[in-house]
Amino acid sequence: MSIAPYVPIAGLLVLGALFALFSCTIAPLVGPKRFNKAKLEAYECGIEPAPVPAGRFPIRFYLTAMLFIVFDIEIIFLYPWAVSFDMLGTFGFVEMLLFIVTVFIAYAYVWRRGGLDWD
Amino acid sequence: MNTSGLAGLAAGGQPAGFGHDVWWIVLIKVVAAFVLLLLLTLFAVVFERKVIGAFQVRPGPNRKARGFGWLQSLADGLKLAFKEEIIPTLADKPVYFIAPVISGAVAFLSFAVIPLGPEVSIFGHHTMLQVSDVPVAVLVILAASSMAVYGTVLAGWASGTSWPLLGGMRAAAQMISYEVAMGLSMVAVFMTAHSMSTSEIVAAQAHGASLELGVFTTHIPSWYFIPLLPSFVIYFISALGEGNRTPFDLPEGESELTGGYLTEYSSFKFAMFYLAEYIAMVTISALCVTLFFGGWRAPWPISLWSGANSGWVPIIWFLAKTIIFMGVLVWIRATLPRVRYDQLMKLGWKVLMPVNLVWILILAGLRVAARNNDQTKYLVLAGIVVTVLLLVLVWPEKQKDDRTQLKREIDTGVGGYPVPPLDLVVPPNPRLKRLEAERAEEPVGAGSKGSAGSGAAAGGPSETAASGGSEE
Amino acid sequence: MTHVLAHPLAGQVLALASPGAMGTGEKVAFWVLGIIALGCAIAMVAARNAMHSALFLVVTMFCLGIFYIIQAGPFIGMAQIIVYTGAIMMLFLFVLMLVGRDVSDSLIETLRGQRTAGILVGLGLAGLLGGGIARALGSIDAKGLEQANATHGGNVPGLAALMFTRYVFAFEVTSALLITAAVGAMILAHVQRNGEKKTQKEQSRERFAEGNHPAPKAGPGVFAHSNSVATPAILPDGTRSARSISPLVEPRELTAEDTRPKDTLTGGGNQ
Repeated sequence: MSIAPYVPIAGLLVLGALFALFSCTIAPLVGPKRFNKAKLEAYECGIEPAPVPAGRFPIRFYLTAMLFIVFDIEIIFLYPWAVSFDMLGTFGFVEMLLFIVTVFIAYAYVWRRGGLDWD
Repeated sequence: MNTSGLAGLAAGGQPAGFGHDVWWIVLIKVVAAFVLLLLLTLFAVVFERKVIGAFQVRPGPNRKARGFGWLQSLADGLKLAFKEEIIPTLADKPVYFIAPVISGAVAFLSFAVIPLGPEVSIFGHHTMLQVSDVPVAVLVILAASSMAVYGTVLAGWASGTSWPLLGGMRAAAQMISYEVAMGLSMVAVFMTAHSMSTSEIVAAQAHGASLELGVFTTHIPSWYFIPLLPSFVIYFISALGEGNRTPFDLPEGESELTGGYLTEYSSFKFAMFYLAEYIAMVTISALCVTLFFGGWRAPWPISLWSGANSGWVPIIWFLAKTIIFMGVLVWIRATLPRVRYDQLMKLGWKVLMPVNLVWILILAGLRVAARNNDQTKYLVLAGIVVTVLLLVLVWPEKQKDDRTQLKREIDTGVGGYPVPPLDLVVPPNPRLKRLEAERAEEPVGAGSKGSAGSGAAAGGPSETAASGGSEE
Repeated sequence: MTHVLAHPLAGQVLALASPGAMGTGEKVAFWVLGIIALGCAIAMVAARNAMHSALFLVVTMFCLGIFYIIQAGPFIGMAQIIVYTGAIMMLFLFVLMLVGRDVSDSLIETLRGQRTAGILVGLGLAGLLGGGIARALGSIDAKGLEQANATHGGNVPGLAALMFTRYVFAFEVTSALLITAAVGAMILAHVQRNGEKKTQKEQSRERFAEGNHPAPKAGPGVFAHSNSVATPAILPDGTRSARSISPLVEPRELTAEDTRPKDTLTGGGNQ
């Protein structure tokens, strides 16, 4: 396949990246530098920062990321199915119905166990 | 429905009219898109401030020296470039640097596949008014938005302090949750347009189609927001969440996280996040117009004029529609308060997603029913009804936890006040060893010293903080 | 599909994609991205900080996605970028954050024989991949994805035509895999709430219920009856400290009625 149609997309990405790189590199050079130790401290509204930032995180974030993967994969399967929906016929509809219902079982289980609740 | 949507496909599914431009046209288009995006961003910032000002009965930026306020964002951007950059000592330098670069670079990417108009002629060369189009164009936008999460989460992590880290994690969890809803909302569009290429989605919205809905035939209007209304609503809500717009702007949550993931950023690195956010505002409006509002095609009364949908003119309709959507985003910001984080996640996972899946199944079922002969039609319709009923039946109810009754008895102390128990033993704080050693040197409770309490109150900030830590 | 071949570009595109002929653009992209991908893969192993390591892996996966696009598989390339770099690596980052910010590799072998096993498995994988590549270069007459795409009118419809007909069983089994993933994550990571959480409404109702004190309660360790500037601080021995109030403010002794917590039944303070 010719990659020609992808070249402008990559071009815009590269142009954006160059712009971001350039300005993020140049700005500190042209800006003033007035050293003050207090400035380099973490911003915590004037309270002396705790030495270690909150090191550990609620495991709920892990659960959310895992569920995200599950549904991301489901969506990736849905896309080609949606594009050629009319070519796949009733059989395509039935198999996607089965697929969605199966994943929905997992979804219902997670919901029932309270995995989707946030505090 | 037939497979006529596929007729426009060239070899390998490549949308017609792309991929054979001369190199300098490609260059012009890329640079033009870049400049247009920057201008739209500068416009969006002032536009938002002016509109919000109007909502709040105040003028907003209106300095005459800055073009009655219209150059305000440019002035702000230039000012930020000449500000001192402060990198906190706790920051992880390379990641701290790369995070705004990712945010900025990826923000531009989505606009590459947004169609601005039909085929035009530049210096005798015919080319489409769109940087490029590929068979998986919408996936490029999704990929860009999934990459944009990195900018946020890395900014939060690399700052090395608590608030940005919390903000970054929250932002990441929010963005990935709403990405699911956003991705699902596009499935119906692909189903109707038979393509994931943006130019073909716009082309598919050119003519209304007659659709046999089960037992009756109806004419559906061409723009997808009418036949695919649920998808449009879900897309719009999830795009607000994905772009961190109010009422879902929790990543910045000033009231609780000071500034969220960009608390520790200053100078142009801060400007880069700001830029990325406003580019996202432009992009979600532009994508909304492309997917659901006919892209660059002229709205109905104007479309009667034969020249409305050809040449350079359609870029006006596209920009007008995009700016109207940006106005809606600002309107929402001026109207709605910020939601709570649990409400946000509940909306994303428990409402948008299941509703979306059921809607896709219903739509697919109707299409299948419309396509088949009578007997199968009723069979499929019955199948849909049964499936929906089944879904309703197994719909997870709110679980009643038996342990609710055995709620832990919390000792609230005297009269309901949270008083620590009298026999509370506080483990020694290792950090205070030095301080305690110093204290032990001078005798405690000497009358001449006055009061320990007032002494502590009058002492330096470090001593106050230390004693506060030890007494808690 | 006749219209595919009827397109003026089709011949040119097919010629470009025929096995053995690779365009200059593809070659340049391959060599540039190949070096980046390989460099980042090595850096990923070499980096001491776990987060940096993960970020190098992100770049490698991104490059792999672009490789797929170059090799006429745009859908799988985008899927690689969305699912692997977008979702799975995000999970990695979350996990790294779960265990703390400053994690770095320790070189102590926690499982016995892990290093030897690792080297053996690595060699095995290298042999497998090398064998596969050698066979692909030698005895197999490659057709190229371009032809496959052309038969179905595009990469995405072609993928759909195969996935939802010939490989439908594998596709359905994937849903079982996804269930396993979701349930496994729940079992490993879900912490059951201890009791039901009160909603904002319930909390508000409780707060203003009859007989309750709606005002915020004093924090732990605060024993003063009033936070007025006119109330002197009490020293540990029970006497009042003159230094705690401004000389301009007249000291005021509060009565028991003044200091009584005002609840919703007895009403406010101005009695």
